[in-house]
Amino acid sequence: MSFPILSLLILTPIIGALTLSLSSSSQLKNKTIFLSGLWITTGEFLLSLLLPIFYDKTKNGYQFTEYHTWFDKFDINYYVGVDGVSIPLILLTTFLVPICLLCSLNSIQNRAKEFVIYFLLLESFIIGVFVSIDLVIFYVFFEAVLIPMFLIIGIWGGENRLYATFKFFLYTLAGSVLMLLAIIYIISKVKSGNIELISDFTFDQQIELILFLCFFASFAVKVPMFPFHTWLPDAHVQAPTSGSVILAGVLLKLGAYGFIRLSLPFFEYASIYFQPMIFALSCLAIVYTSIVALRQLDMKKMIAYSSVAHMGFVTIGIFTLTQDGINGAYFQMISHGIVSAALFLIVGVVYERHHTRMISDYSGVTNVMPKYSFFFMIFMLSSVGLPGTSGFVGEFLVIMSTISVSVYLTFFTAIGVILGASYMLLLYKNVNFGDLKTDIKQLADLTNIEIFYFSCLAFLTMFLGVYPKLLFEMINKSISTSIL
Amino acid sequence: MINFYQFIPEIFILTLILLTLCFGLFNKDRSIAINTLGFFILTLILINFGRDFYISTDLPLNTINLFVLSKIILSIGSFVFILLSKRPLKNENLYRYEYILFILFAILGSFVLISSDNFLTAFIGLELQSLSLYLMAAFNTKNLKSNEAGIKYFSLGALSSGFLLFGISMIYYDTSSFYMQNLNNFTTISEIGLSLILISLFFKVSAAPFHIWTPDVYEGSPTISTLFFASLPKFASLIFLFRVYQELNISGIQSLDYIFQIVCAISLLVGVYGAITQKVIKRLLAFSSINHIGFMLLGIMCYQFMSEGTLFFYLIIYLITTFGIFAVLLNLRTVEGEFTKISQLNGLRFTSNSKSISMLVFFFSLAGIPPFAGFFAKFFILSASITDGFFFLSIVAVLSSVIAAFYYLTIIKNMFFNKSEIELLDDNNKIGKVVFISFGLIITLYFFYPDPLFNLVDNLFK
Repeated sequence: MSFPILSLLILTPIIGALTLSLSSSSQLKNKTIFLSGLWITTGEFLLSLLLPIFYDKTKNGYQFTEYHTWFDKFDINYYVGVDGVSIPLILLTTFLVPICLLCSLNSIQNRAKEFVIYFLLLESFIIGVFVSIDLVIFYVFFEAVLIPMFLIIGIWGGENRLYATFKFFLYTLAGSVLMLLAIIYIISKVKSGNIELISDFTFDQQIELILFLCFFASFAVKVPMFPFHTWLPDAHVQAPTSGSVILAGVLLKLGAYGFIRLSLPFFEYASIYFQPMIFALSCLAIVYTSIVALRQLDMKKMIAYSSVAHMGFVTIGIFTLTQDGINGAYFQMISHGIVSAALFLIVGVVYERHHTRMISDYSGVTNVMPKYSFFFMIFMLSSVGLPGTSGFVGEFLVIMSTISVSVYLTFFTAIGVILGASYMLLLYKNVNFGDLKTDIKQLADLTNIEIFYFSCLAFLTMFLGVYPKLLFEMINKSISTSIL
Repeated sequence: MINFYQFIPEIFILTLILLTLCFGLFNKDRSIAINTLGFFILTLILINFGRDFYISTDLPLNTINLFVLSKIILSIGSFVFILLSKRPLKNENLYRYEYILFILFAILGSFVLISSDNFLTAFIGLELQSLSLYLMAAFNTKNLKSNEAGIKYFSLGALSSGFLLFGISMIYYDTSSFYMQNLNNFTTISEIGLSLILISLFFKVSAAPFHIWTPDVYEGSPTISTLFFASLPKFASLIFLFRVYQELNISGIQSLDYIFQIVCAISLLVGVYGAITQKVIKRLLAFSSINHIGFMLLGIMCYQFMSEGTLFFYLIIYLITTFGIFAVLLNLRTVEGEFTKISQLNGLRFTSNSKSISMLVFFFSLAGIPPFAGFFAKFFILSASITDGFFFLSIVAVLSSVIAAFYYLTIIKNMFFNKSEIELLDDNNKIGKVVFISFGLIITLYFFYPDPLFNLVDNLFK
């Protein structure tokens, strides 16, 4: 038995949260609480860095596996492990959570202890999703994520937060329970919850279609895909900045990760059968939500809709069922995780100073906040998909792989890129350029902390854009062997 | 020669009743002490020698295990309940020794009901239980609502007893026997008789559409009585229902099986739709219990798949959660008296850490959100039902639990997001606090270490 690094990754935040919750809050200042939270999450990040270092890229299958019996009778076991597909997402999570805590240092004043505790729990649940190789464990973590997120949006959200958080919770739950039934059915057939064993099992074709739809219901809500996306703008607009960051950065990826990890290997026939439906929905998502984003007056809402469009690329890429397509989709996931998180932080910065998210309330910000505009530009361009930034690689690969399926698909996907450029540039122009409004004048430029985390994110964006091979090396082997 | 060995648990409770009658009149505190001690001893006896009592009978081992386990659970439940009951009764000026007697009679009735092979014995057990419950509902004689609850419960309960007797007499007419095992070949008459018996049992466990009494009785009765209605007698009636279903092989009789399935589906749906608009927490819990009864009926129906295990597991988790929630509710008081409205929970987060977090755990557990134990309870019931092919009912069940999540979330919203409007008095009941904190821990930590609870249930059904 080797070093149980994955269990440690799951348990560290929980233990941190427990220690924090047992300390009496009256004696601790907010700053101390946030600092201790930061120490824990930074430690977690450093711990997770061990994964790519010790991961053997030449081997097939899962590594760092741990196996404990859990429910003997049902053959449900605590079985965790990682492969190339999960490691980058784990790193993304552990990287974003400290940033979330950093950015709320000033904005979260009341009930800071609870805030840090919920974030720590959230982190450990998300990591749990990415490392589990057993369906029941996967489902447990997948659902458990809802609880801290519900509380984060509900307690620290905007004025309409109750509506948003209830919608978020119930939408996701309604999708997930259907997946639960499918999981139970699969376990009763295969007599095991082990993902590898289930991948080798072939179901009846009719049943496979139904099972696929059950999984689809859950993941499509989470991604979110076109008709199920309406919870996302509400949740994003009402959530505090840090909530939006983790929501856009990681939670949306849970759905796409589910497609890659579960839907494709389990249901080969159904994946091909439902390809047209998913392409249609994704194209609709890309074009429709981009147009909707063009007309938004609220910055957060615009970025939320752009998230739906970008995740449309991801689902298209995944369901081309080619190595390039899935690679591209995966790259887009990571890139969107960084860039959209950064964009929500960007909005958070001005919201904290000016207390409004309306685009029309801002004009000429670049005159008073030059550093801010600089970072805004980098992330905006990356979101648009400028070559040299991470946004380009994923979109390019996805569009390229669609040609093998259908030229029409390529056409609609490419339209999305143009529309994406138009609304992002519009947003950037309206906020940063133009006449300097009088009430904008006293806005202070970025503080050192903000510069620190923005430059981390900017560096990652540029680095991945220039040297995408780093990521592809990690995922290539796993995608070609275990997914396709 | 009758073997008295198998009646030892019942005789034990009877002794407790006599002792309470003797001492209670002079010293109420002492009668509570005697009874807590008594149930503690009874639990120990049942755990250690429970099976030996029934060895001399020719019952199958499975049934013996069923008896022993359910009696252990009942006696642990009564132990906790009697401990909990003292403070709330004092607060309401209801601290009279008769209350303890009613509890004892109800538990005695439940014990008789669980292990009766004979419909007449079952009737006696059920009546003994129900009559005590009517009195417990009306115990707060100065409160109009409590009186109303008692009378409603009594009149409807009498009606259902009538159904039960009528059903029994029809079966007697057909088979000229009161024994369950003599009922093998079903004619139309005994099918009708059995369906009448089922209706009466459905009434007792408050399955829809025989649930009408539940919200009113829950709301009107003193909260401590509500806790009792929601937990132990219901548990006993469910066990008897389970035995009727299994021993008479009801799944083999199509008409009765349909009745069962329809009642299950209606309970699932009526429970959630009723609860959505409720403003009084006890009414909400009443409807939510109807929804959970739906799940339990689902568990009863699919007994090919280690059903005793899954059903019992669900029941235990449900009992723990119910006890926990009521322990919190009993610990809260408003200036005017008992705590009633959901909106009075507003801002509980700011006044009490332990209460609000325990409530969060209990309600998420009831909603079936992992990682709490309630999720696993539902998971196993659904596993059983899907393995047995009840696809439609399973879909109804999960969708109802999504709707159920809405009103559980509303309560959590009130506690965590809203500002408090009225001042809640903290009763500072140490026993209550111990109960809800420890039960909350059980529900939470189950995820990390499921073996003990699961093995307990599992070992008894080997």
